Amino acid sequence: MKRFVYINDDEASKELSCDNRISNTKYTLWNFLPKNLWEQFSRFMNQYFLLIACLQLWSLITPVNPASTWGPLIFIFAVSASKEAWDDYHRFLSDKKANEKEVWIVKQGIKKHIQAQEIQVGNIVWLRENDEVPCDLVLLGTSDPQGVCYVETAALDGETDLKTRVIPSACVGIDLELLHRMKGVLECPVPDKDIRRFDANMRLFPPFIDNDVCSLTIKNTLLQSCYLRNTEWACGVSVYTGNQTKLGMSRGIAEPKLTAMDAMIDKLTGAIFVFQIVVVMVLGVAGNVWKDTEARKQWYVQYPEKAPWYELLVIPLRFELLCSIMIPISIKVSLDLVKGLYAKFIEWDVEMVDQETGTASYAANTAISEDLGQVEYILTDKTGTLTDNKMIFRRCCIGGTFYGNENGDALKDAHLLSAITSGSTDVIRFLTVMAICNTVIPVRGKAGDIVYKAQSQDEEALVIAAARLHMVFVGKNANFLEIRLNGSTIRYEVLEILEFTSDRKRMSVVVKDCQDGKIILLSKGADESILPYACAGQQTRTITEAVEHYAQLGLRTLCLAWRELEEDEYLEWSVKFKEASSVLVDREWRIAEVCQKLEHDLYILGVTAIEDRLQDGVPETIEILRKAGINFWMLTGDKQNTAIQIALSCNFISPEPKGQLLLIDGKTEEDVSRSLERVLLTMRTTTSEPKDVAFVIDGWALEIAVKHYRKDFVELAILSRTAICCRVTPSQKAQLVEILKSCDYRTLAIGDGGNDVRMIQQADIGVGISGREGLQAARAADYSIGRFRFLKRLILVHGRYSYNRTAFLSQYSFYKSLLICFIQIFFSFISGVSGTSLFNSVSLMAYNVFYTSVPVLVSVIDKDLSEASVMQHPQILFYCQAGRLLNPSTFAGWFGRSLFHAIVVFVITIHAYANEKSEMEELGMVALSGCIWLQAFVVAQETNSFTVLQHLSIWGNLVGFYVINFLFSAIPSSGMYTIMFRLCSQPCYWITMFLIVGAGMGPIFALKYYRYTYRPSKINILQQAERTGGPILTLGNIETQPRTTLEEEVSPLSIITQPKNRSPVYEPLLSDSPNATRRSFGPTGTPLEFFQSQSRLSSSSSGYSRNCKDN
Amino acid sequence: MSSGGGGSSEPSGVKKTSKRPKYSRFTQQELPACKPILTPSWVILTFLVAGVVFIPLGVICLFASQGVVEIVDRYDTDCVPESSRANKVAYIQSEGNKMCNRTITVTKTMKHPIYVYYQLENYYQNHRRYVKSRNDAQLRSPREENDVQTCAPEDNVAGHPIVPCGLVAWSLFNDTYQFSRNSEKLPVNKKDISWKSDRDSKFGKNVYPKNFQSGAPIGGGTLDPKKPLSEQEDLIVWMRTAALPIFRKLYGKIETDLNAGDTIMVLLENNYNTYSFNGEKKLVLSTTSWLGGRNDFLGVAYLTVGSICLFLAVTFSVLYLVKPRQLGDPSYLSWNRSPGG
Repeated sequence: MKRFVYINDDEASKELSCDNRISNTKYTLWNFLPKNLWEQFSRFMNQYFLLIACLQLWSLITPVNPASTWGPLIFIFAVSASKEAWDDYHRFLSDKKANEKEVWIVKQGIKKHIQAQEIQVGNIVWLRENDEVPCDLVLLGTSDPQGVCYVETAALDGETDLKTRVIPSACVGIDLELLHRMKGVLECPVPDKDIRRFDANMRLFPPFIDNDVCSLTIKNTLLQSCYLRNTEWACGVSVYTGNQTKLGMSRGIAEPKLTAMDAMIDKLTGAIFVFQIVVVMVLGVAGNVWKDTEARKQWYVQYPEKAPWYELLVIPLRFELLCSIMIPISIKVSLDLVKGLYAKFIEWDVEMVDQETGTASYAANTAISEDLGQVEYILTDKTGTLTDNKMIFRRCCIGGTFYGNENGDALKDAHLLSAITSGSTDVIRFLTVMAICNTVIPVRGKAGDIVYKAQSQDEEALVIAAARLHMVFVGKNANFLEIRLNGSTIRYEVLEILEFTSDRKRMSVVVKDCQDGKIILLSKGADESILPYACAGQQTRTITEAVEHYAQLGLRTLCLAWRELEEDEYLEWSVKFKEASSVLVDREWRIAEVCQKLEHDLYILGVTAIEDRLQDGVPETIEILRKAGINFWMLTGDKQNTAIQIALSCNFISPEPKGQLLLIDGKTEEDVSRSLERVLLTMRTTTSEPKDVAFVIDGWALEIAVKHYRKDFVELAILSRTAICCRVTPSQKAQLVEILKSCDYRTLAIGDGGNDVRMIQQADIGVGISGREGLQAARAADYSIGRFRFLKRLILVHGRYSYNRTAFLSQYSFYKSLLICFIQIFFSFISGVSGTSLFNSVSLMAYNVFYTSVPVLVSVIDKDLSEASVMQHPQILFYCQAGRLLNPSTFAGWFGRSLFHAIVVFVITIHAYANEKSEMEELGMVALSGCIWLQAFVVAQETNSFTVLQHLSIWGNLVGFYVINFLFSAIPSSGMYTIMFRLCSQPCYWITMFLIVGAGMGPIFALKYYRYTYRPSKINILQQAERTGGPILTLGNIETQPRTTLEEEVSPLSIITQPKNRSPVYEPLLSDSPNATRRSFGPTGTPLEFFQSQSRLSSSSSGYSRNCKDN
Repeated sequence: MSSGGGGSSEPSGVKKTSKRPKYSRFTQQELPACKPILTPSWVILTFLVAGVVFIPLGVICLFASQGVVEIVDRYDTDCVPESSRANKVAYIQSEGNKMCNRTITVTKTMKHPIYVYYQLENYYQNHRRYVKSRNDAQLRSPREENDVQTCAPEDNVAGHPIVPCGLVAWSLFNDTYQFSRNSEKLPVNKKDISWKSDRDSKFGKNVYPKNFQSGAPIGGGTLDPKKPLSEQEDLIVWMRTAALPIFRKLYGKIETDLNAGDTIMVLLENNYNTYSFNGEKKLVLSTTSWLGGRNDFLGVAYLTVGSICLFLAVTFSVLYLVKPRQLGDPSYLSWNRSPGG
């Protein structure tokens, strides 16, 4: 599919009729309500609530006023709808601002001022310096005589450096007047979102002499949202407008990620739903039986003898409505609210602000904070993530001579300096390659100094180093480069740039020396992509050694090469290159093929070694997170040796003899298979040894392993706590994430560059480092942080707290709903199983929305342990990883508690308010007050740290309950008129409340104390230690003590079977098999199956320390 | 984030991150907090105090309850003549004199006021069909007279609305009692037996019974159509539906003291049909205390909870002495032996 754009011809471009109106809004004024409602009702929970609300309209079955469900339902829908509307309105405003921006276009040779939204495809748009590009343009002319202009693409790809854009060759030399009346046709692909490709052709119509087809690339375009910089003016023809621009196409609403916790909550909701159905059926049957046996005798009820056909359904449906509050309508809103707050806490955290740049952390995805606490695998990029990405040229090896080996800085190496002054050919050539074989743009600062704008940190480091070594890259004027060496100026004309791609792993430039007219090919690239093309006679052994040597020091190496070209050879090749550059299909591949034809017989000049420093705090962060039971995989595009070196220096792997590195390599299937088998065997046997085993695999072997031996590789992935994958492509990174996810591990991917974007998007949690490689990764990520070391705070503090808080909040929400529901069920047994509601409509409605929602919301600032304790004992994260605080057994605890409390409230109420006091309204209010009192104490008991806010909300809420009810009791027309005043003036009421609290909380309190003291969880122990100021601080030995061995971790399986971990209420009651809880929501389901699946994976299942990490 | 920004000049995400967050104790989650810990001494003390408070409270409640003198006389069967006992329902539905004499002996001196209750058992005033069958608006104001749709099946008689409509009013209790001591009449005060709030604002002063008990079947008692609803106190009491299938409702008050050994003759009119559903009817004479009528439940419950608390306090003390545990003992923290390593 292609589209044809006619320049400056409104008629011909009509068919594309698409103006430049940008619309990011999701709704319009008209479709907002239906669309929003449709969206909200596509969630199961909302459908359920709607069904209930509709059933309530049938007055025969509704136990209470329908308002008790419709009220909260409408409230909750209104809240989410207004949030959507608010967001959409802001999108509309920003669109409007962009749409109404004034721009200059040229029509029939006349410049006109119009609004950005009126631009049509084919219009010539005229921009001045610092203007924002309103739509995707193909450059036609610039103020620069050579047709170059500079753009800042930060808004598009996050890269802050300036990029050059050139006019197509066909437009070179057209003067201003002509430009305005230019006609022509562009053949371009249909709109897509690839901001790195634009494979199009252009043909100008007469009077332009050069009416050949001229190929266009992304270099000839100005894309929407970029800024024109350092160029007086530029003009271009619009090819894509409005929402069809590259930016517009790449926009999309990201799939919402679901946390493990959400899945668990959904599952529990489902279980409650099933329970509810069972209750409804049992009570329905009982109700019908009672009706037929008893109620017919109760003459005052006047059951009609002849019943309508739906008679049998009425009672079950009544109970369905009565029990519908079992699923708390407020849970969704509460969760959204607290999740938003978790995200805010991350953004507010001053300890996660990068002091250097002042960048705070940012949570783009507010919904997945709990997952941070459940991370099991971290996949990390190396460059820019673990390292600073501040490249510094350290050493080099030129023609077999090592420079910089003595003092670690080649720039200060006297030998090198003297070699430069003496003018050694190799050295000069080496420096020339360093200085000009790149895409760097030198920009003259105000003070006359030269600033280099580079896309690649390596190139910048090389150019700067060359300048320090007296080979100064002074200026770039269109295709002419100026180099100053020791006072003399050398000029080169750039003929061709053979760009870097991640497949080729090298780049070259073809330049013509303006002095002697020689044409030279300068190349630089990774050793394995340069050395094979060395000229026949050259010995590359020293070069290989140098590369090895540098890589072992953890330096990044580049091989530099050189070849003089014959004029004919170049010209012949140049034709092919042009041809390849103008194909529309597979252009990249074709170009690579053509480039290959030139890049051979290279004379290898030497090797550069660039240092990339580790970021602050990386080793500590990795060690702490390791201790927290998180496994690390390093995925890097870098060389194996460099990767291993970095891994060693940041505690990623331990040096021999403590650690062991297992290599998986091979070029063929058999090699890889054999290698994989061997490594697997070692892994299985060494799991019982006190050793840190890690495997190293390169991209090639990975490709084969994943393709042909996926099962083995998955097993390896499960066995190995640490892995280094080097030379991997972005898609392989994503693939590895996917493999780990398929094993049902929670993965976190962290990276900083564009090559990490896919991995970040694929992972359960994507973290971007807003680093120097641009903001691409940070923009794609769920969280962006300034430095790698903030990761430990993100996970251990924010992730953990979020998990704990949500665990409490969600279970508590079910507890309170079940509590009131159980009371209704009990009451139905003494009201003839007829489905009478004990509570009045107002109470039922307010119970979930007002009375019980506030105190629990304050649990978002509850802290079970101080941040310091968690940092000291990161192992405590295990409770979150294994899902110890929210799983079916903890839920069973809460379920039991609500049942117990319901019994307490019900029994005490009906006995204390028997006989002459058994008035319906009063009894209902007594029971409700009992519930409110109990829930206040339950929240208080489950709160670990009381701040002012907690006291305020828990006790304030209790007061609020009375205030609200006094208000209702003062309305003469309400059913509750004077009830609350009457109750509160009776001593009996207060004595009953006191009894309910005593009887309800006493046993729970005793149980909690017993567990806390005699069966403490690790969290309890730390709490005790922290709060008694006890011996925890002297526990330094545990801290500094080297990582305990796998062996010790697993061996005393007996521990597990001891009742030691028999838990407090919200711990799994079945904690003697933590695997069960950990895996309980995995695909395998039951613990039994899990163990089976383990043994399926390996014959020697005894060696599964990796899985048993959770034991 | 991907959905935002767009054509606007700055990507919103980028702009936000460059803002340095403001420091406050709330945003840093560093509000000063009290972190209680369950030390044995605190917990034992709590249970001890709870026990010490609950037990005397229980005793006080029991005393209050025991101080109430209560006479209960079940009459539903006894007031059916021997001959009719085989078919009590037929008896109660038949026309004719259903007077019945009961003799009650006062066992303990009863100070006035003495409350006269009737107690019904196995009577489901809380049945959904029953509870719903009323209309409060109609009771309050004559303008809402026709608002009877919630009252089915007792809503209309021959197209005319019933006031008060609904099953609750229709089934009004209609046994009557007359008391005499030593053949001297004991007046029963039937005034102010209902809630004042009900008389004042729930039952209209200008709402008069209409078409009440005029259709078939006849349920319970009838009302004097000359008296406004706000003065029909028996109805007002009856319409305060009971939440339990056993309940008492106030019939009246005897404003003189009764002495121990007094014999009270009760002449009662046995009209109300509880026989068809095996319900019980009882006449209750009771004094009252600050806690209400005679009800040992609270006292016993307090004593039980209090003793459990004391028991727990003792148990925990013994546990603490026998098996002392140091709180936060690091030896329990051995990560290397435990989960999470």
